[in-house]
Amino acid sequence: MKTKILPTATATRVWLALVALTLTTFTLGVFGYQGIGLVVTVLAIALFKAHLVVDHFMLLRRGAPLWRALLTGYLILIGILIAVPFALAGH
Amino acid sequence: MSLPSENTADSALPTPSGPPGDLAIWFFILAELLAFGVFFVAYAFTRLNNIELFDTYQRLLDTRTGLINTLALVTSSYFALRAVIAIRHGRSLHCARWLWGAIGLGGLFVVVKLFEFSVHTQGGVTLSTNAFYMFYLSLTFFHFMHVLMGMVILGVVAWKAGHGGYSAREHTGVETGAAYWHMVDLVWLILFPLVYVMR
Repeated sequence: MKTKILPTATATRVWLALVALTLTTFTLGVFGYQGIGLVVTVLAIALFKAHLVVDHFMLLRRGAPLWRALLTGYLILIGILIAVPFALAGH
Repeated sequence: MSLPSENTADSALPTPSGPPGDLAIWFFILAELLAFGVFFVAYAFTRLNNIELFDTYQRLLDTRTGLINTLALVTSSYFALRAVIAIRHGRSLHCARWLWGAIGLGGLFVVVKLFEFSVHTQGGVTLSTNAFYMFYLSLTFFHFMHVLMGMVILGVVAWKAGHGGYSAREHTGVETGAAYWHMVDLVWLILFPLVYVMR
């Protein structure tokens, strides 16, 4: 099995998506939103961004299924372990 | 013979199966992620018993510096990827330039973070001020040290790339350094919303 690298255009699109999602998170913070809606939205955006980094920047999408699964599993686990106490906080 | 274009999609040179770079760095990355993960979960559970305190002091943080630093690291990580793409096409000088760019943006992160730390220090904030600042300062300083280490690693790789030390066939060092740098970026992508935004 061979690993292939991203085309430059795809890499650039992923970077632009990361920038756009970062600006979205910032905007949500600036406008002072809070509560479970904000927590779920911002956390989901953060984990999706991290997933993009794992797949497209770390180049684990193709050719490294074990490491991709390990890092993706880490993100899911961390997401749950962060979300639970925020949910319990009564949001 | 002309070099292949970096825009030729998946026709780039293939590499052996497994993750890019030295396999050892991936165990290191996993260990680092687990360490940060413990910090993140501890933050969330400690906040559970100090919600008002955490929300109050979190509002005092400057989200704009968090935004600047997130954009700097995300873009820096993209530059590191471009360096990998360049060297896989045998373009050593392009690779070195992308890496120096990545280091420059890492430098921007460092400057902004030092500014933030100095503001807190002048305000008399320390680790023992309260639970929120204990986590905020510990987490961000721990990550800050990783940024510095990543810049040193990328600096060594960039210097070597600039002197023809890597090629399209042998570029493990570039991929290894880039993988570490992406980890530093990935951690910040969770740290920023958790500590600066979520409440």
